[in-house]
Amino acid sequence: MGRIAIILIIFLLATTALAAVFTVWVAMSTRKQRVQSDAETHKLRETEKAWFVIVIVALVALLFATIFFTPYGRSAGSNGQVVKIEGVQFAWILPTTPIKAGTPVEFDLTSKDVNHSFAVYTKGGKLLFQVQVMPGYTQKYVYTFKQAGTYDVLCLEYCGVDHAKMQAQLTVTT
Amino acid sequence: MTEQHPIVATPLPEGADRAYAKSIAFRYLIASTVILGASGILGMILRDSQAGAGRVPDAWYYAIMTAHGLGAFVGWGAFAVMGLAWWVMAEAGFPIRRFGKWMAEATWWLMVGGVFGVVVTCLLFKFGGSWVFLYPISLYGSGVWGKWTAFFFTFSVLLAGLAIVTWCVGILHTAVGPALGAVSKNPINRYFTSIGWGYLSPKRFATTGKGVPYAVIPLAVIALDMIIATLPLAVMLILLLVHTFVASVTVDPLWAKNILWWFGHPVVYLLLFPAVAVYYTLVPKKAGRPLVAGNIIAIGWAIAVTANVIVWAHHVYIDYPSGTIQASLNVISQPLTFSVTVVSALSLYSLFFTIFRSNYKWDTVGTALFLGLFSWFSAGLSGMINATIAFDQVVHNTLFIVGHFHQMALEGIGFAIIAATYAWLPEFVGKKLYSDRMGRWHVWLTFSLGTLNSIIWMYQGIHGAPRRYAVVPHHWNALNEWAVPVTVALVLAQLLFAWNIIQTIRGKGENREVRTWQQVAPVVVAKAVVVSGVVVAIVVAGWALGRHVGQTSAVAGTAPAASAPTTIGGGTVASGKTLFTASGCGGCHTLAAAGAAGTVGPNLNTDAPAFSKSVDRITNGGGAMPPYGKQLSAQQIKDLAAFITASSGGSDDSGG
Repeated sequence: MGRIAIILIIFLLATTALAAVFTVWVAMSTRKQRVQSDAETHKLRETEKAWFVIVIVALVALLFATIFFTPYGRSAGSNGQVVKIEGVQFAWILPTTPIKAGTPVEFDLTSKDVNHSFAVYTKGGKLLFQVQVMPGYTQKYVYTFKQAGTYDVLCLEYCGVDHAKMQAQLTVTT
Repeated sequence: MTEQHPIVATPLPEGADRAYAKSIAFRYLIASTVILGASGILGMILRDSQAGAGRVPDAWYYAIMTAHGLGAFVGWGAFAVMGLAWWVMAEAGFPIRRFGKWMAEATWWLMVGGVFGVVVTCLLFKFGGSWVFLYPISLYGSGVWGKWTAFFFTFSVLLAGLAIVTWCVGILHTAVGPALGAVSKNPINRYFTSIGWGYLSPKRFATTGKGVPYAVIPLAVIALDMIIATLPLAVMLILLLVHTFVASVTVDPLWAKNILWWFGHPVVYLLLFPAVAVYYTLVPKKAGRPLVAGNIIAIGWAIAVTANVIVWAHHVYIDYPSGTIQASLNVISQPLTFSVTVVSALSLYSLFFTIFRSNYKWDTVGTALFLGLFSWFSAGLSGMINATIAFDQVVHNTLFIVGHFHQMALEGIGFAIIAATYAWLPEFVGKKLYSDRMGRWHVWLTFSLGTLNSIIWMYQGIHGAPRRYAVVPHHWNALNEWAVPVTVALVLAQLLFAWNIIQTIRGKGENREVRTWQQVAPVVVAKAVVVSGVVVAIVVAGWALGRHVGQTSAVAGTAPAASAPTTIGGGTVASGKTLFTASGCGGCHTLAAAGAAGTVGPNLNTDAPAFSKSVDRITNGGGAMPPYGKQLSAQQIKDLAAFITASSGGSDDSGG
């Protein structure tokens, strides 16, 4: 499991726990029979403005914490390897030249027919990266393999009846 | 901003207007509930097949997946909330006038026609392009479906799209009508009054009454947005239909993807926003106090009406082909997507604090609404992950997404529909609800099982399990067996819903007792314990069963046929023929004996490969062909090779 997956699980568990505690608190607050007061309703409406500010601040914080981590505009540099891969219902046409670990690889991905998605996993099932492959366009993705070995390639965009069989293996050498 | 008195809507009085709203909402609700039943069963079949219990052949799997997706999302969710919207309008004091009635009728017929067409093309003609049918997949049926099936499927979706447009026009006509009490005669001014701008600028958007009822705002917002969202898709669908006759008419795939999601994002809010209108209407009733919403909520809706139609690019975060501006669009889309969550955050605040310290009624309706609010909150949080580019790269097209949107649609939105059904169905038919107790069982079971079902998917997905795989690859099938009993029980729980509806309509209803938390607290706690216990017991039993089924089916798959009419090299020709179709070989290869006409790989009739070559290629792959050595057993590969050899006239070099 990747680092981001761990962050996501922590994020989900923490926020869901908070949501659950809040929800139970609201439910418990209805236990006693009360006389409704307009003053209380009015106060709760006023507090909504504070909540609005909290939400905006939280969203801006999450935005700045994450927006700089996009896969866009990466370059393999001058010593990078260019690897052309083509997707077709229901196979990956892979290069015969070996891919080297340690140096950046620029994958140039195209499709002969429909939309596919090029996803590379370790043998243990950990997702390293995925990127969409569209007919009529070249999609680039830059990745540096840390270790030599065999990696699994899956198609992650539904592409027809044998979508689940559109798998291949990528060999990375030292 | 000036603070106004709480807005309490005055419902339409008894009479023709109210009666019409009842009858039209009832028709939509019954049709959509029938579709829910059918789509739910399809969903259970899919999940169980994916988990290895009752494997469905791949071609059928994806056809059922397409029917389930469109059926549950559009045929149930959208159809139901569209119907409830008419009634919410009546409860807010807005009559449907003559033009609105035409639109309401047109919508019903277009929707029924669209759903019928989808069911026929998917379940009879195996259209399996998935419910988003990303262009150009409908033109690449791999021998499973042809151009006419694609034509009629596209036409059916177009009908459903037109149903959305007629509904929007009808809702807009109703919202800006005389009931709004807007001072201005200018339709644009009246529209902005109907989405609550009078709360921000009372002079410019003046009304004679207290202001627009809160429940009308989300309906008027989505009615404008869905017209903007649907028209480009309708044009694209028409181009696809034309393509059937004029092959030169095509669409650019990148434009097609953007147009699809230009519609595909707002259509989610076609479900959510009317569900919010239902929450705005029913929660204050159950709490016995006006909605705790101030002018600030109008800001949320002002953001929503704009942002909703410009955030589509978050669906294509991992598409950024060279030489296009898609990457920039995607980056802009993240803050815009964040902004559209503000209205949910404010609405959840308003609804939860309307309940807070109130004399909330914990009957079926109150319980369903409350559990729905929690699910909306929870699914909204996991939605933040999908909205963030850095995180989306990890969860995109994994089962995490499937878990997220099932929680949102089935519970966050579904519980608004279910609550509305329990609250208003009795009123529509003028009878009492059959059983409130049965209703609460239904609601609690649906909540616990539905949540569990989503958690399993999210757990598998966050570990990398791909979505839309007929078979979950072995790395991630750990929790699969658990999904079988959960989905079966989830479907069975809906029988309680169906029975309650039928008995209510038949007039077998009881006198409903409305209870407070104090009275129900011990019962609720006891029930929660019992329900959890039953769920765990079912899960454990089902897990054992699922394991058993998985093992026996694996054995059945490898067992050679008892009587072997023709064999080559230890492979059975007849079994090979079945396998050839089931494994989708025809997607790539032409072989007359199997009725296959694929053109991606070599034509087996002309190639006529020898037995040993077939075994080698199937096992190890070669060229563009993937290896099947892992998916098929050695016996299955021999069967296939035997069939190919026998039917293509290839040489038997098996030496046996």
